[in-house]
Amino acid sequence: MNNNDDKLHYAFYSGCCFQGADARFFEILEQVFDKVDVKLHLMPEAVCCGAGVIEERSELTSLAINARNMAGAEKMGLPFYTPCSTCYNVISNCQKRLQEDPKLFEQVNEILAEDGIEYKGDCKLTHTLWMLAQDVGLTKLRERITNPLNGLRVGSYYGCHTRNPSDIQNYESSDNPTSLEDILEVLGVEVVDYDTRDDCCGYHLTWPNKDLSLKMTGSVLGGAQKQNVDLMVTSCPLCFKNLDGAQTKALAATKQDFQLPVLFLPELVGLACGMSPQDMKLDWHAVPVHVRL
Amino acid sequence: MTEKITPIREKMLANIRIQRFTPGDDRSSYFDNFKVQVETGMTVLEVLRHIKNTQDSTLTFRAFCRSAICGSCTVRVNANSVLACSTQLLPIIKDFGKASVTITPMANLPVIRDLVVDIDPVIEKLAKMHPYLMENRERIPETLEQESLMSKKELKQFDSLTDCILCGACFSACSTVKVDETYAGPLTIAKAYRFSIDPRDSFRGMRIQASMDQGLWSCVQCRKCLKVCPKDIRPADSIRQMRRIAIDDGIHDTAGSRRAKAYTDDVEKFGQVNKPMLPVVVNGTKGWTAIEAGEAALEKHGLAPTRQVCTLPGQEGAAKIYAKVREIEKKEKAREQQ
Amino acid sequence: MLTYDVLIVGSGGAGLYAALKSRMEEDLHVAVLTKVYPTRSHTGAAQGGVNAALANKDRTDTWEDHWFDTVKGSDYLADQDAAELMCREAPQVIREMEHWGCPFDRTKEGKIAQRPFGGASKIRACYAADKIGHVMLHTLYEQGLRHGVNYFNEWQTLSLLHDGQRCLGVNALDIRSGKLHTIQAKAVILATGGYGRIFWTRTSNAYGNTGDGAALAYRAGLALKDMEFVQFHPTGLRRTGILMTEGARGEGGYLLNALGERFMSNYAPEKMELGPRDLVSRAIETEVREGRGGSDGEVFLDITHLGKERIAKRLPQIRQLCIDFEGVDPVLEPIPIKPTAHYSMGGIHTDFNGLTPIEGIYAAGEAGCVSVHGANRLGGNSLLDILVFGRRAGVHALEYARHTEFKPMPKEALAPAETCIKALTDGDSKETIADIRKDMGDLMAEKAGIYRDAAGLTQAVAGLVELKARYKRLKIKDKSNIFNTELGAALELGNMLDLAQVIAQGALERAESRGAHYREDFTKRDDKEWLKHTLATRNSDETPKLHFEPVTITRFQPEARTY
Repeated sequence: MNNNDDKLHYAFYSGCCFQGADARFFEILEQVFDKVDVKLHLMPEAVCCGAGVIEERSELTSLAINARNMAGAEKMGLPFYTPCSTCYNVISNCQKRLQEDPKLFEQVNEILAEDGIEYKGDCKLTHTLWMLAQDVGLTKLRERITNPLNGLRVGSYYGCHTRNPSDIQNYESSDNPTSLEDILEVLGVEVVDYDTRDDCCGYHLTWPNKDLSLKMTGSVLGGAQKQNVDLMVTSCPLCFKNLDGAQTKALAATKQDFQLPVLFLPELVGLACGMSPQDMKLDWHAVPVHVRL
Repeated sequence: MTEKITPIREKMLANIRIQRFTPGDDRSSYFDNFKVQVETGMTVLEVLRHIKNTQDSTLTFRAFCRSAICGSCTVRVNANSVLACSTQLLPIIKDFGKASVTITPMANLPVIRDLVVDIDPVIEKLAKMHPYLMENRERIPETLEQESLMSKKELKQFDSLTDCILCGACFSACSTVKVDETYAGPLTIAKAYRFSIDPRDSFRGMRIQASMDQGLWSCVQCRKCLKVCPKDIRPADSIRQMRRIAIDDGIHDTAGSRRAKAYTDDVEKFGQVNKPMLPVVVNGTKGWTAIEAGEAALEKHGLAPTRQVCTLPGQEGAAKIYAKVREIEKKEKAREQQ
Repeated sequence: MLTYDVLIVGSGGAGLYAALKSRMEEDLHVAVLTKVYPTRSHTGAAQGGVNAALANKDRTDTWEDHWFDTVKGSDYLADQDAAELMCREAPQVIREMEHWGCPFDRTKEGKIAQRPFGGASKIRACYAADKIGHVMLHTLYEQGLRHGVNYFNEWQTLSLLHDGQRCLGVNALDIRSGKLHTIQAKAVILATGGYGRIFWTRTSNAYGNTGDGAALAYRAGLALKDMEFVQFHPTGLRRTGILMTEGARGEGGYLLNALGERFMSNYAPEKMELGPRDLVSRAIETEVREGRGGSDGEVFLDITHLGKERIAKRLPQIRQLCIDFEGVDPVLEPIPIKPTAHYSMGGIHTDFNGLTPIEGIYAAGEAGCVSVHGANRLGGNSLLDILVFGRRAGVHALEYARHTEFKPMPKEALAPAETCIKALTDGDSKETIADIRKDMGDLMAEKAGIYRDAAGLTQAVAGLVELKARYKRLKIKDKSNIFNTELGAALELGNMLDLAQVIAQGALERAESRGAHYREDFTKRDDKEWLKHTLATRNSDETPKLHFEPVTITRFQPEARTY
């Protein structure tokens, strides 16, 4: 891998959330990260992390395939980057488990040997927030802003899977994370606090219990709407899909009536770096993004 | 050579903002502010007791063992559910970067007074889980002349779950309880799981049923319970495990079981989850509406809908892993049955 | 009126075992009255182990070895027939707990694991990591749920009712509603635990270990036994009194005074920090008295020289306790510690079945005194005591209640409880609970704690009369009926003051040193004069009246207690 340029290089683990209409995010991430000198390298051998659901059938399978995923990044000699909070959660959980249990580590490597792979355990994991705030850094990010988004009232939304539990943190406090707000302030927006900021959006109940999922989504949206935000921003693609894609149903289920645009963080970074709403394909959103950007 | 010991102690004047409520005094809940000199070593509970002893003796909260084993003193500090007795205050002040902290009662439970909530709903949900050992007479002798035998390995399966102190921090933090008051809550499912895998027990089927009746598949896996649990028993992981034994024991006909099967099988087959078809796989024919809506959205943007994801290049390798794990699990099962 | 065949006051191990036993055949109505929730009781805090001569680890162990260790540990004040019974029944109660699901650690063969313990001649303490009390308490609670024991959670018992011959029931306060109730019961089992909180902040005990049951019994005319014997542990955390187990010293920790001197060289030059508990406690107390303690009267347990790695590997829990409860990382600085009142040997005078001289009134566990611990309890016997005698009391109460009719409850039964509450709530005063309680703790620690002598104890006795007078003037500020924790604390303080008087008086009269009772003016054990139990009843002026009863000696003649 050519690391002899000024760019930051990452092994890119896309997860499974960029299927269908969300495939556009591949392109968007590449374009946006290029603005801040980040280069992503797709991991050829990676498979879906199983979202923790595979553990409901076999924990060992989940651990083994995710050790295999991490081994892919190790082989490339690059830090492991995933845009998806759930992938981050599941894979960092796998990393912790194997770190803490040498026997399990050994067993998993025996399994990986079937595929001619070794997991060494020294893979560095990160996701969009920490990559931008820590690796790229706020100074560089600020330099690249050509279109500060002043005057925009934004509700920031982390979602759960980069925060819980605390032991998956390697950058900031799990009780009081600030990376998202730090990034947003660099983009020029006004960050607005609201009382459902730390609640779960309900994405992972979409299949087993849609009604509850919609209630959670509606409640999160309602909290932000109460503070008259112009839009919500999240770094998690699953939260995004849910808060945007399921918004109409969620509001109906919770007897609310409004439209609240939701942006995926890289989209907002792209806009602040001078890219157009068309570049960011904002017209693909389920909830129209008709705020001044 | 001896050296005088000078302990490192920081001090700071902090504002402690506490939610108050007394039934019958015509006020809804409100906040009181207390100024307290906080120093190194002071726990949240010490601060509460200091206020009660010196500023307002009507301040009401629970506390008993003050050593993190009784589970009485759960409150929320800056919205985070904690045991007041084992939570140092200065680090929180530093973390949040301001000399003011807000203490509120546990969430998801009715407030009785100030920081005291009614914990009975949790106990009632727990009681429905058959949270006790029902003797398996193949393992437990009839008389007290002998103990039953249990291997270290068998004990290890559930030992950490017996650390639970029923403090309710996980219940307070639970995303599902917040929107569904009929849901069991993390600790009760963890307890059901603890007994269900105890080899001395004979009541696993009843507990699987009881946990399904109380929403086994309603947990959203937000992982908040893992974060707040003061004993690190990882309730959300137990919930996954409870689902696993339910499926192992033949519970295939729920949306959750079908999702688990779909995810597991798809990753082996395609290297990823076949999301286009997930609505039907999980929810049967009524899933078609969702599929059609999704396809319409794709067409709107000029994309061709598909009903099957492509097979990722990594699938082949993943399938080898699956096969090997199955082999290991089969061996393990055979060994257990011996 | 609420009516139960058997009513248990207190929900620790003894109370829950008694409840379960009396409900086992599910024919009687059984209820547990607790001022907390059952699983919050202080039994849960016991970490180390519970003795039973199962001989799983050491095949040569027998109940008789256990019996001798118990008697010797008691400094020969235990009744030997009672200790014999406890040690004989130990294996059975442990197995019963195991059959109910208690997750004991296991040996390679899958049997209940055992570990060595101080004062034990064989490897005998059954354990579950560092949480044996916790898992026992939860097991008993769980089985109680299964068998339909009723739990009255957050009810505080105010008085014990009897007619001089037979038990009638209790008066109790429902803390949530503030309502007073008379509860009728054929049998009442008092299982309210110990009274370590009399030393207020200098105890490892929970806030609620205020000796409620003993005080109820004492005020109801029953006798308390051997109350002057309180076991101190040398190393409790400065702020909270939470125990730092012997592990830290065993691993090579030093005890330092505030000048940084390793002072044990002046007291036990050979054993140094590993000297017996009472000796180490007295050494610390001397350092502090002579001005070599820290600003809060603490000394220091220093393990910094062990290094981060060794601490992380060998003492991870101790490190975490220090960080969580004291805000001190022992890798970086010495741990501030103080001796801490740990266990109350004394309690309500009962027979082998927990029965008091009043038919139907029982006591068990730390609240009672059979006596099996005498002047000093053997490590690992406190949990055993609650199991064996909780069980016996339950079984006996069950049989008694089955063959007894309810006695009519006098109409005015509730009146004294109402008066007692009114006295605390009606009006204003300058006295506060916090002040009186602190003064009581200071007085008891200084004059009736680790070091005792006639002059100090006389001052303690007088000081307590004064404190009681102040208590009589106390009016609480919280006038709400709903969950009034100030009222609860006031009632507990009243209980503690009554018991403190008994402790001080007993300690004053007992002119010898035995077990946990150390007199600077009588430093030797005196078997000729004092091989006897102290019994205290209450005079009409509320002072204690003492008399003495012989110790039962069946096999082991008293000899010097050396280890």
